[in-house]
Amino acid sequence: MAKRKIPQKGQLSASRSVPNPLGNTSAPAAVRSPSPDSTDDVDVDNESSIENLFDEEAEEASDEEDEEDQGEDNFFNDDNDEDDEDDDEEDENSFFGIVDGGISDSGNESEVENVADITEIGSDDENIIEEFDGESDSEKEEESAEVIKNDEIDDDSDDEFLSKSESIADAESQTSVSDNDDGRIVHYTKGADGKPRPIYREIDPHYSSDDSDADDYNVIGNIPLSAYDEYPHIGYDINGKRIMRPAAGSALDTLLDSIDVPEGWTGLVDRESGGELKLTKEELELVKKIQLGQNAGEVNPYEDTVEWFTSKTEVMPLSSAPEPKRRFVPSKHEAKRVMKIVRAIREGRIVPNKPKARPEDDFKSYDIWADDLPEQAPHVMHIPAPKQAPPTNEESYNPPEEYLPTDEERKEWEETDPMDRERNFLPQKFSSLRAVKGYENFVRERFERSLDLYLAPRVRRNKLNIDPDSLLPKLPSPQDLRPFPIKCSVTYTGHKGRVRAISVDPSGLWLATGADDGTVRVWEVLSGREIWSVSLDASEPVQSLEWNPVKDCGLLAVAVGERIYICQPPLFDDATEATGQDMLAAGWGYAAQPTATEDENKEPLCKWIRPTSKIANVGVDVAIVCRKTVKQVTWHRRGDYFVGVSPEGANMAVLVHQLSKHSSQSPFRKSKGIIQRAQFHPFKPMLYVESQRYIRIYDLSTQTLSKILQPGARWLSSFDIHPQGDNVITGSYDKRLTWHDMDLSAKPYRTLRYHQRAVRDVRFHQRLPLFCSASDDGHINVFHGTVYDDLLKNPLLVPLKVLKGHAVVQSLGVLKVEWHPKEAWLFSAGADSTAKLWT
Amino acid sequence: MRIKKRHQAGAAKNFITRTQAVKKLQLSLADFRRICIFKGIYPRAPRSAKKANKGSTAPTTFYYTKDIQYLLHEPVIQKFREHKIFARKLSRALGRGEVSDAKKLDDNRPRYTLDRIIKERYPTFLDAIRDLDDALSMLFLFAAMPATDRVSAKVTADAERLCNQWMAYVARERALRKVFVSIKGVYYEAEIKGQEVVWLVPFKFPQNIPADIDFRIMLTFLEFYVTLLQFVLFKLYIDAGLVYPPKIDSAKEQGVGGLSAYILESKREKELLVARGSTTTESSKAITESDMAARAKTISDAITTTQHDEDEAVYDDTDAAEEAKLDEFIAIPSTEANISDILPQPDEISAEDALKNLMAPFTIYVGREVPLDILEFTILSLGGRVVSEAALDLYAEDDDEGVVAERKIEIDDLVKGVTHQICDRPALSTRVPGRIYVQPQWVFDSLNKGRLMPVDEYAVGATLPPHLSPWGDVGGYDPENYEEDDEDEGDEESVDGEMDVDNDDDDEEVEEDVAVPVTVDDDDSGDEEEDEALAHQRELESEAKGISFSSSATSSSTNKKRKRSEPVKQSAAEKQAREEKELRKIMMSNKQKKLYNQMQYGINKKEQRKEVLKSKRRKIEKVKPLSNLNEADKKKSGKGKKNNKGKK
Repeated sequence: MAKRKIPQKGQLSASRSVPNPLGNTSAPAAVRSPSPDSTDDVDVDNESSIENLFDEEAEEASDEEDEEDQGEDNFFNDDNDEDDEDDDEEDENSFFGIVDGGISDSGNESEVENVADITEIGSDDENIIEEFDGESDSEKEEESAEVIKNDEIDDDSDDEFLSKSESIADAESQTSVSDNDDGRIVHYTKGADGKPRPIYREIDPHYSSDDSDADDYNVIGNIPLSAYDEYPHIGYDINGKRIMRPAAGSALDTLLDSIDVPEGWTGLVDRESGGELKLTKEELELVKKIQLGQNAGEVNPYEDTVEWFTSKTEVMPLSSAPEPKRRFVPSKHEAKRVMKIVRAIREGRIVPNKPKARPEDDFKSYDIWADDLPEQAPHVMHIPAPKQAPPTNEESYNPPEEYLPTDEERKEWEETDPMDRERNFLPQKFSSLRAVKGYENFVRERFERSLDLYLAPRVRRNKLNIDPDSLLPKLPSPQDLRPFPIKCSVTYTGHKGRVRAISVDPSGLWLATGADDGTVRVWEVLSGREIWSVSLDASEPVQSLEWNPVKDCGLLAVAVGERIYICQPPLFDDATEATGQDMLAAGWGYAAQPTATEDENKEPLCKWIRPTSKIANVGVDVAIVCRKTVKQVTWHRRGDYFVGVSPEGANMAVLVHQLSKHSSQSPFRKSKGIIQRAQFHPFKPMLYVESQRYIRIYDLSTQTLSKILQPGARWLSSFDIHPQGDNVITGSYDKRLTWHDMDLSAKPYRTLRYHQRAVRDVRFHQRLPLFCSASDDGHINVFHGTVYDDLLKNPLLVPLKVLKGHAVVQSLGVLKVEWHPKEAWLFSAGADSTAKLWT
Repeated sequence: MRIKKRHQAGAAKNFITRTQAVKKLQLSLADFRRICIFKGIYPRAPRSAKKANKGSTAPTTFYYTKDIQYLLHEPVIQKFREHKIFARKLSRALGRGEVSDAKKLDDNRPRYTLDRIIKERYPTFLDAIRDLDDALSMLFLFAAMPATDRVSAKVTADAERLCNQWMAYVARERALRKVFVSIKGVYYEAEIKGQEVVWLVPFKFPQNIPADIDFRIMLTFLEFYVTLLQFVLFKLYIDAGLVYPPKIDSAKEQGVGGLSAYILESKREKELLVARGSTTTESSKAITESDMAARAKTISDAITTTQHDEDEAVYDDTDAAEEAKLDEFIAIPSTEANISDILPQPDEISAEDALKNLMAPFTIYVGREVPLDILEFTILSLGGRVVSEAALDLYAEDDDEGVVAERKIEIDDLVKGVTHQICDRPALSTRVPGRIYVQPQWVFDSLNKGRLMPVDEYAVGATLPPHLSPWGDVGGYDPENYEEDDEDEGDEESVDGEMDVDNDDDDEEVEEDVAVPVTVDDDDSGDEEEDEALAHQRELESEAKGISFSSSATSSSTNKKRKRSEPVKQSAAEKQAREEKELRKIMMSNKQKKLYNQMQYGINKKEQRKEVLKSKRRKIEKVKPLSNLNEADKKKSGKGKKNNKGKK
């Protein structure tokens, strides 16, 4: 069949193609034949396109005719002869299929017939594309021709195609020449596939075949141009001449190219800013558009119309599906549920229109403590409300009679504000239960309790539940620390004024006292008998007196007014008296010859004179006249020096007198406040000077101030140095007694406050661990004070006894105390003009 | 390190003022108060109010911040808010006259329950019992209050019901431990699950309601307490095997009312009754032992029936206890060196059991002039049976004469068993032989003392002995033993001439024993030399033992003195001790001294009060003999008159 067909077609096409050049337009095939590929002549091309347009219908008609012509020979007949359209399509397919199958050579008419048998049927899709192609005009055809050209350049591999193209060119020429159709194919040979293969004639490259337009046609074929990079030419033309490379830019151009032009660079200067004027792409586009006179805005003039409000009304609904059945049939599920309710109502489980039960009516108790939780400790911050105190006997309706308030108590209760009352009721007594009245404040008290429960701020107070006695310090019992004075055994009476001064002689047998009446009396200690008495000055009180510490001299220094007397009461044996007189007499010689160093002009600090004969006869041997009232005299332990303190004396308040030389000197150049007292250290060359607030300790050997003690009291009255020298006690007018440990600090180790009035005097015992304080409240407090050798151990202070006996006269009590040098006996001088011995 | 800002931590953060709290919770002050009452949240007193108030010293109420924080998510607060909206809607509906809408709204009003809060506040049952005091006192007050425009009838009825249920339970369990009739009302103390619960019941008189009392606060408390007590009672009844709520005998409720109307059924009994068949009525079922008419019985003994089986059981127990004599634990005589605690001695029969059955054998007839509620409750909790004159009178009344006659017979039978009659009249015209006539205080004092008091002191018309509080006196004054103290003091005064703190003799004796542990001087007639030698020996021994010289010395010396005249010596030693104490005070630091003085102030105040009471008592005693004589004369004459009358 194929065999038969090919010649037919060939014949057919041949028969058709023949009249074409003759201008016979009656045959449609002829119209087709010259159409696309006669690219040479533009005019022809145009014509053919016009012809094409003309002959669209004609073509169809001609096809029909073709069918009729071909009759049963038609290749496509076997399907349906009568279906014209189909047939027609098929026909078209067969026609355009060539374009499809033989990619490159669509336009060649002659080729169409040739290849039609090879590509039998194109697919439908292709058809559509091709339809478009078919409709497109000659321009497209031209393009396709160009494509072919390229193809020719690109794929040489396919010989067949190449040959075809050649054949096309040949055909064109032939057609253009037109006379010799049959002469093209010389003969057929049997191909490799067993089909007949046409052998074409060699092309004779004569003049007419020459394509003059393509004279510098690069013929390097499939070799990439990069191979010619290093040559000045890029290939060869058909004539073998070099095709020179087109002139490339100069080096400057390449340089310019290589420089990056910043985006939007215009090379213009902005008139306003003076800087570069830059334009973005969009702005450039806009400028271009304005230049062209186009719409500068971005308006698409060809937008699709959108029908917002459709003009069409739909007659039919979207779905024409019939209503489902379930829309008409009652629901079984619902019926089930309804029946459930109905059944419940019938059985009485549901009572319709039942009055709603009030929740508070049917309050249901249940066991909320069923889950037996272990008891937990309450939260730290939770403070439970305190329970009300239980009622006591007072609240009884029939209390014991002592609980009933007296009239005063009743009145007092009624007068106090209800808030301040200790109890909110008055005890009452009813003879029997039936007589008991209602309590009028019951509701109010309950209400107040409620208020307390939710309104009263709660606070947890730790109640100190201890025995008050446990606060008392643990101290050894005084009984274990005996001996100490307990009671008054001797009272020395005879003075007419306050006894201000008291001193026991070193042997402990004689007690000297001085009083406001200006007398000095010496008593026998044990018997309380007055042995000796002298009236030194009737108008001035005896401020101070002290026995010389040297044992066998019997000298007594007495300060009265501005004078200090040294006397020797006639109590002692001859030897003693003699030593005493020797000590006194030695000084007179010194006093007679004034020292060279002494300034003549300067008035001496004191005058050492012999007393008036009146008192000299009694035993007063020396009088020292000072400038100010001397308040205190105290001996150095050696018995040669003694200190007189006159508080008003400013820088000469402290004077050190030397008995053996009858000389006096003032150790201080400047006043250090009001000096109260002074005392020598028990064994070191040191002088303790007490001012109003401080105790200054001077080293006499180096003549420097070595320490200042600060007792912290407002006004010191007295002080004393422990016999071992490391501890000092002070008494002050602000009722305090302080104990200083010199090694510890300048501040007191203990400050004790127990006296009701000012402390007048404090004193250490010279041998026993005892000390005492005397106060204006008439009491003497005796303490035990052990000082340990171990420096780490604090001194032990134990109060031992309060000695009461002195009367308080004009708010003055005990003025001076003195320990017995050996025994645990205490002498005290009081404002009640007596002295007492406590044993 | 970051710089710390002030008032960002510590007290300033832990405490929050009330205004801040209210703002934070977005509540009205009234609602805040309510929630605080329900939740038991209370203001605190911070250690430093200034710090807590961010530097301000203005007086402010502080709350603990975490308390308020916990409140933020409280469901009840949400209900409060809902209620606010509801109230607004309701008032609007009413204002528009939309009655049906208003009714619907009212039916669906937001309601809250306090169960969860109760469980929260009292995680364990014991916690709840511990906090019952205030609840009971408040309920008993409202039970006694009339319904007014401020207090609805329902509230008072609820309170009364709960109070009666509580009393019925206490009486049945015989948990009552103390009764005290005060001028304010009657205090009771019951021991429930080991916890002491004290509550106050007002006398049955109309309450004086002051105008300035905010009942909203009281009612909020009451609301909480009612819920609490309902749960507590439920638990108590269930634990005791009783049915809750108990049945109420409506007939009696309308009659005398009160405690007797409550029928407590144990669960076991109920089952039995069900098994027997429910033909008989509840009241008749309750009576099993006698063939008396059922109703009369119920009237007469209020709830005794349910207690009967138990009573017998208890008796058995006591017998057993008596049989098994318990060993006595004797403490080794202690010396100063090893002082041991005094061992608690087990009683032969536990005092509690004795108390529970104190009046078990008695049937007590309560006169109509005596407040029945107090006595019925007390006697029942002591195991006795009560016959109330008032109830009998009510029972005897009837229109039908035949019935009246019948009932009279019943009542006569009932009254036959009466052992005691409680009577509160100045004199009695007629006395039934075989009955003991006492005043009501006899019951109370017997309960408080734990034994039956001698009846003659409480006889009708007699001057009653003082009714003492079982909780004693505030300051430790004992009105019953004042004389013993008195004697001591008198001696001291004669010796010393100044008022002293009295010291117990026992202590002194102990001291003596302790002080001379080694040798006890039996030989009184030993001469002085021997004594000295002995004393020396003692000293040496004590020294070896490490006892300080002073104590042994004083003791020995005091011993000697004691032989001569004990009081003199005692006072001297005492004086010395006091002096020593004074001396030791010298060595106290300032701080300790202040504390010590503070303590002494309290002690002294107590002592002073004691002294005042004692002196008053002494004065009264001086006058008394005369008055007693007079009284005795009067009595005699009265008796004579009576006799005369009787003769006449």
